[in-house]
Amino acid sequence: MSYYLGLVQLIGIHTLLGLSAYVLMLTGQLSLGQAGFFAIGAYSAGILTVIFELPILPALLVGACIAAFFAFLVGFPALRVKGLMLVVATIAFGEFVRLFFFNLSWRVPRDGIEVGPDSTNGFREIRYFVANGWSAWEITTFVWVFVILVMVALWWMDRSRAGAVLRAVGEDELAAQSVGINLTAVKVTAMTAGGFIAGIGGALYAHTATYVDHLTFTVLLATFAISYPILGGLSSVIGTLVAVIFIQGVLVEGLRFLGDWRNIVFGLLIIAAMNLKPSGLFDARTARILKRAASLGRRG
Amino acid sequence: MGDFDFVYITQTVGDGLLFGSTYALIGIGFTLIFGAMGKLNMTYAAASLGGAYVGLAAFTFVNAPALVVFLVSALASGIVGFIAYLTCFRFIPIHNHLAALMASIGGLFFIDEIVIHTTDGSPLTFPAMFEDVMFELGPLGIRGDLLFVFAVCIAATAGLLFVLYRSRLGLATRAVSQQDVAARLCGIDVHRTNAVTFVLAGLLGGIAGAMTAAAVGVLSPLITIPLTVKGLIVTVIGGLGSIPGAIVAGLMVGALENVFLYFRGVNERDMYVLLLLFVFLVFRPHGIFGSAISRD
Amino acid sequence: MSKTSISIITLAGVAAATLIAFGQPAFAASERTVKIAGWGAKSGPLRSFGVNSEAVLTAAVKSINDAGGVKLGDGTMVPMEFTYYDSACNADQAISVARKVESQTDALIGIGPTCSGAAAAMYGIFQKTVDDASDTGLQFPILTDTAIRPGLAKKSQWTFRNVPNEITMYDELFSWLRTQYPDAKTIYGGTETDQAHSKLTFAIVIVPLAKKHGFEWVGGGIEGVTGKVRDGYENVLEVSKSSNWLMADTNFSVQARAFKKSGADMMIVSSHPFTTCGMLKEMKRQRINPKVLVGLTSSSSAETLKGCADAAEGMYIPTGFAPITDAAAAVASAAQANGGFADLHSAAAWENAHIIKQVVESMGVMAKPDTLQADRRKVRDGLEALVSVNGLMGEIGRVQDEGESVKPFVFVQAEGGSWEVVHDPR
Repeated sequence: MSYYLGLVQLIGIHTLLGLSAYVLMLTGQLSLGQAGFFAIGAYSAGILTVIFELPILPALLVGACIAAFFAFLVGFPALRVKGLMLVVATIAFGEFVRLFFFNLSWRVPRDGIEVGPDSTNGFREIRYFVANGWSAWEITTFVWVFVILVMVALWWMDRSRAGAVLRAVGEDELAAQSVGINLTAVKVTAMTAGGFIAGIGGALYAHTATYVDHLTFTVLLATFAISYPILGGLSSVIGTLVAVIFIQGVLVEGLRFLGDWRNIVFGLLIIAAMNLKPSGLFDARTARILKRAASLGRRG
Repeated sequence: MGDFDFVYITQTVGDGLLFGSTYALIGIGFTLIFGAMGKLNMTYAAASLGGAYVGLAAFTFVNAPALVVFLVSALASGIVGFIAYLTCFRFIPIHNHLAALMASIGGLFFIDEIVIHTTDGSPLTFPAMFEDVMFELGPLGIRGDLLFVFAVCIAATAGLLFVLYRSRLGLATRAVSQQDVAARLCGIDVHRTNAVTFVLAGLLGGIAGAMTAAAVGVLSPLITIPLTVKGLIVTVIGGLGSIPGAIVAGLMVGALENVFLYFRGVNERDMYVLLLLFVFLVFRPHGIFGSAISRD
Repeated sequence: MSKTSISIITLAGVAAATLIAFGQPAFAASERTVKIAGWGAKSGPLRSFGVNSEAVLTAAVKSINDAGGVKLGDGTMVPMEFTYYDSACNADQAISVARKVESQTDALIGIGPTCSGAAAAMYGIFQKTVDDASDTGLQFPILTDTAIRPGLAKKSQWTFRNVPNEITMYDELFSWLRTQYPDAKTIYGGTETDQAHSKLTFAIVIVPLAKKHGFEWVGGGIEGVTGKVRDGYENVLEVSKSSNWLMADTNFSVQARAFKKSGADMMIVSSHPFTTCGMLKEMKRQRINPKVLVGLTSSSSAETLKGCADAAEGMYIPTGFAPITDAAAAVASAAQANGGFADLHSAAAWENAHIIKQVVESMGVMAKPDTLQADRRKVRDGLEALVSVNGLMGEIGRVQDEGESVKPFVFVQAEGGSWEVVHDPR
């Protein structure tokens, strides 16, 4: 069971990572720097529970706020660049954060061993969950409380005026501006929200994995972050979840029986998916079909 | 480390400048496709190295001379470029940038994994051109092979600019990149033009991949992602769509990397390169030369 | 085909794939066998680790079964069986495979994941102290093949490693080099700083031990480095910061020039095969010919020779595996027959399979479906109780409180495209 629960935790965490990119994409900003915010959340929350011995909840929230703060700071210069420039600028930001943690060494003695981030050697002993006797079920529930909170919040926002504003900016900035939408406020808010969500994800990740090092937070992770919403489609938060299940559940874990061929199939399936369904596996059309099927089912 | 020894620093900068020409070649490829389609082809660096691997196979199995190795690399990478166009761009709606980007990321994983499977990820020795040529200028030494890479870089650029500005094909490419609807109305086949651009970029990429491999002397799939990132950084510093910009930026990044390494050590080196990119984004968002084709 | 049907087909495909992937029966209650699980990188740039480990493990299990199998607690002889998983040298995947093997299979023990980064992460999810009910970490024994990085296994009482002890290896190496090169006085070197193994071994082990045997860092030594392991290691990294590099670096001109400028008698290149080759080739271009060239244990592999046999010529490396005994030579050729290489990393997989056989037999493991947890515990206790076992190159001692091993080793030197044993301190 612990295997499936571990997988469910990982899916939850990656959903948060994907949703952090989703919020930005609604406003038309493509960020390959989400791994950076994820890393900030992971290291901050880890430092708080390990070095300052804080309980998990405050550590997680503070970690997410620190990530959100940096996202807020990144939001302003990011306004000046668009499209591909933003992609490269955010890659650079993410790499910068990674290199920062690569250089960070902050060790304190605890129970005879030194704990805390130790540059290349990584940050070990982030064992809050296991050391406090949390069962796999409890950890999984804890992770998913956050995933569901974030999903519900985003879903609700998407249906409210705020969602319309975000999408308006994403569709056509000039038009949005001309109807009185404050671009700066919208984009910076989206960036901050994305940072906060990625920060929660990172904090949860560090505590479920118990170990992080700078190599966890490479461009590859940032690529996964944008893959989820692109593959899932931008029509709803459900799409991101579907894509995470598709990638982490099916392609990474489910295809493990393919052994050597798994990673080759991985790339091919992504290419195929984008050619067949360029607007995402869970695009507006699929959502409508499912809805219709559901209502038919109810009637019949 | 890092004392101010003039000769030593000149040598450091010189080495970096020359090595930077390999970054420049990768940057040109990204910028070319961006200029033509306004899209990011993430398979590019992987395809370039993939081409170099095919060239290496020619060397290993039929003991081809270095020049043939380079040509085979270019050809193979050109073919991969064409396939990448067909699979990741051709059939995806033209305005869906995200889907094309994602498909090309899938392509990057695919090419990389094929290479890893064939070689088991082991580093392989790559034949060098002029490995033993070292020009001595007083206390300074200049690597002959890197000088050759530099020359290829200039020649490739001249060739590209010639094609872009002096041939019908180039006219079509530029027309498509500036106004694809108008170009179509004038009877230009957009798909064909784009495909040709991909092949051209691919040919160049193969040379870049082989040059990089020759300059290091070893080829490994470890460098695909770092090379992709570096190529993108060079592209942005040089200005999206600007070929001369990519060259200057490539050389500059190469030189500054060495300077940062010399004065600040390897752990901080890349942070300074990234800071340089941020400086450009804030103060010169259009890159060194600004861009003739400004798209977002 | 309409877009609607594409949508339906795609979704149906995803659903079907999920079902196929997870619908496999967890494990069938077959006849009794001793099941073990192996995992390592079979995808990603470090694929050679996994390929080599799997090849050696296949050979090892075959040799055990050819000799009659493993004797269980009730005297039955049963075959050993293994499954090899790909964990891509990636922390998440190593953790995931460990969980999968622990909860979805009836494997008694895991052998993996070779890469020390993945191992460092994976060990964290195991129960720290046996019988500590408040600790919900995994309770499943692991005997990692290699994953060299100082002090890893003591993270949990469930995790063990079969890894060469680099401290003794380099201590002996420098002592021997002292006698071979009496006039070599100074050393200089660099390492790959983003890999914990190469970096730590360079700063904590190699430089101090060289000093211990009278090789002084160029320019009068490094402050704090006294010749004792770990002393002054931060200063070692500080003085070498411009002669170090990263794992994916391609340009080594500045580092090699620093080597050249040092003019040291002995030079250290402490990195994994790819950058070792890049650096050695650049040293060759700059015509740097030190009296002695010393490399990192991990580079004593076939990869280095595939990458740069010429440039590596003359490099000394201590290694825990060389085909110098009959047993070792047999393993080397068996591995090659299975499409891999036996080297310092992968040969451990052979020894591990045999160690497991020995432990299973001495602890009276039953290998019945209802004794799985008890059997795993017996295997763990058996590993902890081991004093020494027969390895490929001689007796392997165990350092019990650290879950580590002390293996015999030899010194090899790159000569004409192969690793030749130049000294055998056993």
